[in-house]
Amino acid sequence: MKKIDAILKEIYTALDDQSLQSGLQRTLKNLLPASHKVLKRWPYLIKLADEVRKIREETLKNLDYYIDEIIKNVESINGKGYFAKDRHEAIKIIDEIVGNDRKLIVKAKSMVTEELKLREHLIEKGHIVYETDLGELLIQISKDKPMHAIAPAIHMSREKAVKLLKNIGVHVSEEMSYEDIVKGVRMFLREKFINADVGISGANVVAADSGATILISNEGNIRLSTILPPKHIAIASIEKIMPTINDAYKQALVQAGYAGLYPPTYLSLTAGPSSTADIEYHRVYGVHGPKEFHLILYDGGRSDAIKNQYLWEQLLCIKCGRCQAECPIWDLVANIWGGSVYGGPMGIVWTAITEDIDTAAQLALICLGCGRCKEVCPMKINMPDIIRYLKTYISKTII
Amino acid sequence: MPLPVKDILKMIADNTKKYGMPFPMPKEVIYKWADGLDLPKGGDTVLFTGLLYQMIPYINASIKYLESVEESKYLSVLMKAGGIVSVISKLLLRVSEEELKEQYEVLRGIAILLKKTGTQFGYLYENDMYSGALLYDMGLDNDFREYAVMVYNKLKSLGVRTLITIDPHTTYMMREVYKNIIPGYDLMVKNYFEILTNSSIEPTKILKESATLHDPCYYARYLKIIDEPRRLLEKGGINIMEPERNKELTFCCGGPIESITPGLSKRVAQLRVSELSIANKNIITMCPICYANLSRVKPKDVAVKDVSHYLYTIYR
Repeated sequence: MKKIDAILKEIYTALDDQSLQSGLQRTLKNLLPASHKVLKRWPYLIKLADEVRKIREETLKNLDYYIDEIIKNVESINGKGYFAKDRHEAIKIIDEIVGNDRKLIVKAKSMVTEELKLREHLIEKGHIVYETDLGELLIQISKDKPMHAIAPAIHMSREKAVKLLKNIGVHVSEEMSYEDIVKGVRMFLREKFINADVGISGANVVAADSGATILISNEGNIRLSTILPPKHIAIASIEKIMPTINDAYKQALVQAGYAGLYPPTYLSLTAGPSSTADIEYHRVYGVHGPKEFHLILYDGGRSDAIKNQYLWEQLLCIKCGRCQAECPIWDLVANIWGGSVYGGPMGIVWTAITEDIDTAAQLALICLGCGRCKEVCPMKINMPDIIRYLKTYISKTII
Repeated sequence: MPLPVKDILKMIADNTKKYGMPFPMPKEVIYKWADGLDLPKGGDTVLFTGLLYQMIPYINASIKYLESVEESKYLSVLMKAGGIVSVISKLLLRVSEEELKEQYEVLRGIAILLKKTGTQFGYLYENDMYSGALLYDMGLDNDFREYAVMVYNKLKSLGVRTLITIDPHTTYMMREVYKNIIPGYDLMVKNYFEILTNSSIEPTKILKESATLHDPCYYARYLKIIDEPRRLLEKGGINIMEPERNKELTFCCGGPIESITPGLSKRVAQLRVSELSIANKNIITMCPICYANLSRVKPKDVAVKDVSHYLYTIYR
């Protein structure tokens, strides 16, 4: 458990960290107006968000049913479906799919795999693993934690990024333009995509009627990671389930819009492995895309949270990260104010659900209770109230 | 050096239990502001100050001290030397009369305006009380519940049925929070902005001034009291220059965490002051906590004033 004085020490260090502060200021300057502009220009997203909340509330009431549905439906599209109660079970399933001999693995950015500490585990097992989202790749090299749900490396200066990329053999230099640095990364990762044995992704949303996953991306790395390798493993936490593909699309659009990236450059639906029956109508799996599609539904504390009169509401969260950028404390220290994976308003509650309620309670003490997070949340989750509940948890033990 | 949060929370709980306020102050400070106003004692409808305005000088002194402790490298020595709590309890001797007078003026101005609306109300003097807001905000629920029940019972025993509140925290506690924890809670709560807006008072002076308005989180988001102060100010000729983040999306002053992490609280206040002063260098606050926290960090060329100063000048 992380104690309040350790948390405060980290926070004060972050307040004095010039690189973090300037990175944060730059990000907020771009991110905040972007979100506001999107909702102004596409106001239907606000209506859609209300609709999505209603559907999600109903879905959470019948989660066990939907989990069974997904596993059944994934099998019917020639994929494989699994349910993992905890990290131990999830890792065991992934290890079996990946196999023991050394593999080259490309990863799309996924917060659930951060929860599982999956990258670290696979590297420890002897596999070669590359994050393919540029920000997340920088996080991998620096061994930091992601600082924001969709912009993980906001705290990093260009100089630091170049230094890190050089360390792993990317051909970049300090005097290069942003464009040339990105080009260097593209060249470096291109051959990893082509030669990878396994592609691992999260899922922004999963449709129960089909077992289809939807992934949102702007870099294009997610499509490459999930299309080029012969095996695709998608890991989705169980609160990401929506009843139908139609519902799932709505949720993906809301998530992209509220994150300030609209329209999303890529919205990728994956329903099973790739196949053809163009020669004598004989079905062959694995044409240009993967031969195998594995979907792991991961619980990791969520079904316990459903039973809690406060925590359950956070399961409506679509992790757009909007509450983070709008929070006065987060604006100063990013995910430093958080657990080992999640930070900021939603992150305090996600820490309680996925990690450790004691740490979350300590983190909660720094919340202003100002209510901006609830105001801007597309799901209107009462985070101030949930965080206040977490404060009572700690106060009981100290008074 | 982080503060011993545990001890501070315990101090807030103990002080509230013992003195009826999180930071102790002399008893007469509660009601001294009403000297000479001839407010009837008690009654069915009372002005319930919640003590926050009176407490500002004591909060300021306490936070200033806590900040110096937080910045020092010798916390452990300090703690051994008898600790923070005993120092804070002695701070009440060091508050300047001038600082207190400033807050008394706010309270007097509000009372005079309320009288002008024709509202019949009394005042509880030594029985005026604090709502327990900080206990609730910090999640000290057991202490809060006990305290709230005491406050409610006392008000009932004094025959009070309607409270007139003058700050967002007290308004929210008495209107929204108490009813959730006290079965049968039946006190009516009117905020003074609501009373002034619904009354027939007219400006006696039109100010040709521009200012920016800082919405407190609790008025704007928790109570949806947004238009009333604007209407009252604009009627009196104030040209309100809205800051970038305003109304429902107002940005916090940092106040709620000032007692456990004054340095971080200050940084939030700095963000807000710089945003407000881009809109206009005259900042109007509507909450004593916001007033204290924004005043702490304001540059010399920026003025921070409570809304009641303006309203008093316009409508007296």
